Amino acid sequence: MSYLLEVINLKKSFGENEVLKDVNMKVKKGEVVVIIGPSGSGKSTLLRCINRLEEPTDGKILLDGVDITDKSIDINKVRQRIGMVFQQFNLFPHLTALQNVMLAPLKIKKMNKREAEETAIKLLNKVGLGDQINKYPAQLSGGQQQRVAIARALAMNPEVMLFDEVTSALDPELVKEVLDVMKQLAKDGMTMLVVTHEMGFAREVGDRLIFMDEGVIVEEGIPEEIFRNPKNPRTQKFLSVIL
Amino acid sequence: MAGVGQFDIDLFVRILPDLAFGAFVTLELTSLSILFGLIIGTIAGLARVSKNPVFFGVSTLYVEIIRGTPLLVQILIIYFGLPAIGINLRPEPAGIIALSICSGAYIAEIVRAGIESIPTGQMEAARSLGMSYLQAMRYVIFPQAFRNILPALGNEFIALLKDSSLLSVISIVELTRVGRQIVNTTFNAWTPFLGVALFYLMMTIPLSRLVDYSQKRLGTYEVK
Ligand SMILES: Nc1ncnc2c1ncn2[C@@H]1O[C@H](COP(=O)(O)OP(=O)(O)OP(=O)(O)O)[C@@H](O)[C@H]1O
Ligand SMILES: [Mg+2]
Repeated sequence: MSYLLEVINLKKSFGENEVLKDVNMKVKKGEVVVIIGPSGSGKSTLLRCINRLEEPTDGKILLDGVDITDKSIDINKVRQRIGMVFQQFNLFPHLTALQNVMLAPLKIKKMNKREAEETAIKLLNKVGLGDQINKYPAQLSGGQQQRVAIARALAMNPEVMLFDEVTSALDPELVKEVLDVMKQLAKDGMTMLVVTHEMGFAREVGDRLIFMDEGVIVEEGIPEEIFRNPKNPRTQKFLSVIL
Repeated sequence: MAGVGQFDIDLFVRILPDLAFGAFVTLELTSLSILFGLIIGTIAGLARVSKNPVFFGVSTLYVEIIRGTPLLVQILIIYFGLPAIGINLRPEPAGIIALSICSGAYIAEIVRAGIESIPTGQMEAARSLGMSYLQAMRYVIFPQAFRNILPALGNEFIALLKDSSLLSVISIVELTRVGRQIVNTTFNAWTPFLGVALFYLMMTIPLSRLVDYSQKRLGTYEVK
């Protein structure tokens, strides 16, 4: 079995502070991996290393067998294959929802305008915003903005999607609409790495659960089994607080 | 010495065409200089936020030197100094070069502040989509930064327009020099210089109104 994504002996330090200490992870195509762990355990840093928004200090990251930490690799090409959605949405405020989704295909893929627009409208429909395409981010609710951000990431047709606490900045009543979009995406077969505090989502959608603490993967397995029967005392402690 | 110290309406009417011509030259020199200044300032501003030590070092040195010396001295060096190393410029090109280099340094700092005013998440989102650094700057950071710095650029234009009066020392016949020439031939200082001031105001007041207006309009992105 070959893996779509392999993280091998990954280390990351900020100055003296070693945030990732030898992380290893393998993700199959179509797999949904949910990552949980206390604040500061390195979850965001792990995701950000995978698309090299942070430069790993040591280790390898293989995408489809190719080491993307290699200095000779065209990182812009690699990032087109890895979509990312952020906690703070980071939509482009000077562009409408439609323009946000169209921008990268237009400017990077050099897609023609009509094709880019058709794709963007299709994606905005998919995330349930077909009637909001000409609104600016400031005119949309947080949940709507985050769904535009998902559509924007999907527009580059990525092979993997990274989600970093994408519902944490949302009012509780807006969380479900975003999670529903992610569930649908998982059903469609997207490979996903999801950092989240939404244990319901982890249980229902996650193929695998990873618990991180202090820069290491402490425990991993089927979500339901870990929730029911966590083996590591640190996992037990974390889950007893959060569940 | 009749007339000195009194406002002479007849004289004022007679010198209006000359003053208008001077104002036109001032506006022309300033506009050209701000245009070149924008190009220099954008490149230097980008270099000022660059991680490349050479770009950063050179641009920082440029900004420090220009901001640390009087514009008058810069003008004198370019017009009277450069011939010493074999570069002879006519007054107008020398003047435009001096004003462009000078405004470029101030604009560089405006551009730098504009880029830094955009949250880092914008650059990260753009890069995560696969844009290069320059693509992200061009399509995501600059359009937002430009809105934020438009009022500051307007103020820089006004400041440069007033500072261009210094070009009179290298015998460019702009508004201030026109005024001095008239004083020399009419022996009336009061009327021509008031006229000169009036013409500066006729240019700067509408400009600063425009700056105020743009500042109010540029608050949000919804209205378009
Ligand atoms: N750019 C940075 N510079 C220095 N230290 C950083 C940087 N980014 C993260 N850190 C540190 O790395 C550690 C791990 O941070 P990270 O954001 O990966 O944690 P996290 O698991 O995502 O936490 P949270 O649940 O709060 O988002 C923290 O101690 C943080 O202070
Ligand atoms: Mg985090």
